[in-house]
Amino acid sequence: MPALYSRLEDLLSKHPEAGQVNNTLIDPVIIANDIRKKYEDIDAVNGISFQVRRGEIFGMLGPNGAGKTTTVEILEGMRNADSGEAVIDGINVKKDPTAVKSIIGVQLQQNAFFDNLKLSEIVGMYAQLYETKVDPIEVLSRVGLEGRKNSKYAQLSGGQKQRLSIAVALVNDPVILFLDEPTTGLDPQARRQVWALVKKIRDDGATIVLTTHYMEEAEELCDRIAVIESGKIIAIDTPNALIDQLLATGFKPEKRLREATLDDVFLNLTGRDLRD
Amino acid sequence: MKIYLALTVVSMKMYFRNRQALFWALFFPLLVMLIFGMMNFNGYNAPSVGVHDEAKSEASRNLIKALQGDEEEVLKVSIGTPEEILHDLEFGESRAAIIIPKNYGVPGELAVLQVTYDERYTQERAVISTVLKQVTDGLFKEYAAVPDEYLVENSINVNESLIQGQGQGFKGWLIPGIAAMAIMQTGLFTVVFSLVRFKSQGVLRRLKATPIGAAHFLAGQLTTKAIVVVIQTYVLIIVGAVALGVSVNTGRLGAWFDLTILALLGGALFIAMGLAISGWAKSEETAAPMANVISMPMMFLSGVFFPLSVMPEWLTRWSQYLPLTYLADGMRAITVEGATVTTLGNELIGLTVWIIVVFAIATKTFRWE
Repeated sequence: MPALYSRLEDLLSKHPEAGQVNNTLIDPVIIANDIRKKYEDIDAVNGISFQVRRGEIFGMLGPNGAGKTTTVEILEGMRNADSGEAVIDGINVKKDPTAVKSIIGVQLQQNAFFDNLKLSEIVGMYAQLYETKVDPIEVLSRVGLEGRKNSKYAQLSGGQKQRLSIAVALVNDPVILFLDEPTTGLDPQARRQVWALVKKIRDDGATIVLTTHYMEEAEELCDRIAVIESGKIIAIDTPNALIDQLLATGFKPEKRLREATLDDVFLNLTGRDLRD
Repeated sequence: MKIYLALTVVSMKMYFRNRQALFWALFFPLLVMLIFGMMNFNGYNAPSVGVHDEAKSEASRNLIKALQGDEEEVLKVSIGTPEEILHDLEFGESRAAIIIPKNYGVPGELAVLQVTYDERYTQERAVISTVLKQVTDGLFKEYAAVPDEYLVENSINVNESLIQGQGQGFKGWLIPGIAAMAIMQTGLFTVVFSLVRFKSQGVLRRLKATPIGAAHFLAGQLTTKAIVVVIQTYVLIIVGAVALGVSVNTGRLGAWFDLTILALLGGALFIAMGLAISGWAKSEETAAPMANVISMPMMFLSGVFFPLSVMPEWLTRWSQYLPLTYLADGMRAITVEGATVTTLGNELIGLTVWIIVVFAIATKTFRWE
C-alpha cells in the first residue's frame, strides 16, 4: 500500500490536475465547503468551496473586497462563518479554532510589530504564544535576517519587514502557511526574494495559501489558483490550464508581448540580487 | 491671491479637525484660567480650627457661631471629638484645637477654654488668639447685659498651650499628591497610547491568530503597567522626600505595604479608565484628547498641587468624589498623617466603587480591532 501511495504522489506531482476530480482531491489539507459570511447586508463570502492539496502553493486572486481576506480569516479560525464547513488538516475549524491556530502560520496584510523589541525578542515572544521554544537566530536565518537579530522593527526596509513577518509565521513549524499579499509595496528585488523564500518554505514541506493582486506572482509561485469575485469562486485551476482555456476561446492579447518586460530592464539595471 | 485664500481655507479645515491641537489651544488654557481664577490666594484666608463642644448649650453654640463670623468667614470651624481635633492639629489639617468646657455659659462659674496651637504657625496662632479674646469678651458683655462703659472682670478664661505638629508643611503635603497624579498619568496615558496604537496597527489582530491569543498579551501589558505604577510611587516618594528634605512617615515598614496597596488600587482604577478610553477610541487622534479632558480637571480639582480649601465650596462639594481625590487623600494620609490602610475609610470605599464602575464601562467599550 505505501508503495502505491508514493507512486500516486509521484504521479500527482507531475500531473497536478490528475488528482482533481470535480475539485475533490486525494488527501486535501484544506477543505472549504460552501462557506458563507454576511456583514450586515453584504454577502462577503457567498458559498465558497475548494480544496488545497498538501504541499502545494495555492493562490487566491481577486479584486479588493472580493472576499479573499474574509475567506482566509475563516480558515484561520479568526472569524466565524455563518454557515459551511472548514477543515484544516483534519480539524474542524469551528469546533477547535485553537488547535487550528497552533498548526498554521499567519502573515497578515497589515503587520506591525513592537517598536522597542529586537527582532530576536519578537520571534521569541511569538514562540511563547505557540507554547514552543525556538532558537530565534535559527528562525531569522530561515528568512535571511540573522544578521539583523539586534535591530528594531522600525529600522528594517519594507522587504525585511515582510520577511520578518514570514519568520514570525514560521515559529511553530506550521503545516499550512497563510500569506496575505506578501509582496504588496515591495520593490522588484525584494519581491523576488520573498518569492524564493516562499518556494523554499514549500520545498521544506509546508502547504502555502497566498492571496495576491499580482498576476506574475501567481504565475511564478502558484501550483493552482482560485479567482474570487463577489464572494464566489469563478475559476479554479493551474495557471497554465487557465491560460490555455482562455486561449481556446480564441482570445488574442491586444499587444504582442515582447520577450522581455520593463521589470527585466529594471532588474538588469539595478542588479537582480538584493543589497540587504 | 485666490490660491492663497483657498489654501488658507483648507489649512483652517485641517487645523479645526485636529482635536489634539484644539485641546491644547483652547480647552487647556481655558481650564487653567478658570480653575486658578476660582482660587482664593490673596486676601484673608480663614485659618481652620477644630472645636470640641462639651457644653452643647445655647451659649456654646453662640460662641461657635461667633467664631465662624457672620458675613465674612473669620475661622473655618470643624466639630469633632478631642482626639480628632488634636490629630488634625498635629498633622497640619487645622491650626488650633479648641475645647469648650461643660460649664461654659453657666452663670457665676469661671469657664476655661482649652486652646492648643501648633507652635510652628505663629501667624495663625496670633490671629486665632485675637479672635478668641474679642469674641469671648463681646459675648460675655452681651450675655451679662453689661453696658459698654463698665469694665467687668471676664468670667471666661482662655488657657493656651502649644504642641509640636508632625506635618511636613506644603512639601510633605505635595509629595504624596504628585505620586497619586503620576499613577493617574501612567495608568491612563500609557494604556491609551499603547493599546490604541496596537489596535490601529493590527497588532492585536495578529495576536488573535495565535493559539494563546491576545487576551494573555493584554494581561501581560496591564501587569507591566501595575508594576510600573508601584515602582514609580516608591521612587517619587523616596526621591521627593530626600530632595525636598522632608521626612515622610514611611519609617514604619508597614507603610510601604499600605502604599503598595493604594498604588495598586489607583493603578487598577486608572488602567481600567485607559482601557475604557482605548476601547471607545478608534485612533490616537481621538483617544489622547479624551484622556486629557478626563485627567486635566482632576489634576487641579483633586488637591494635588494646592489644598482643596482654596477652592470655592460649591466646587469642592463635588470634587471630593473624584477618583484622584480619593487616591491623593489616601496616599497623603499614609505618608504624612500616620494613617494605615486599615484606618482609611472613605478613600478605600471611594476607590473601590470607582474601580467597579470603570471596569464595567471598560468591558462594555473594549474592542479588539
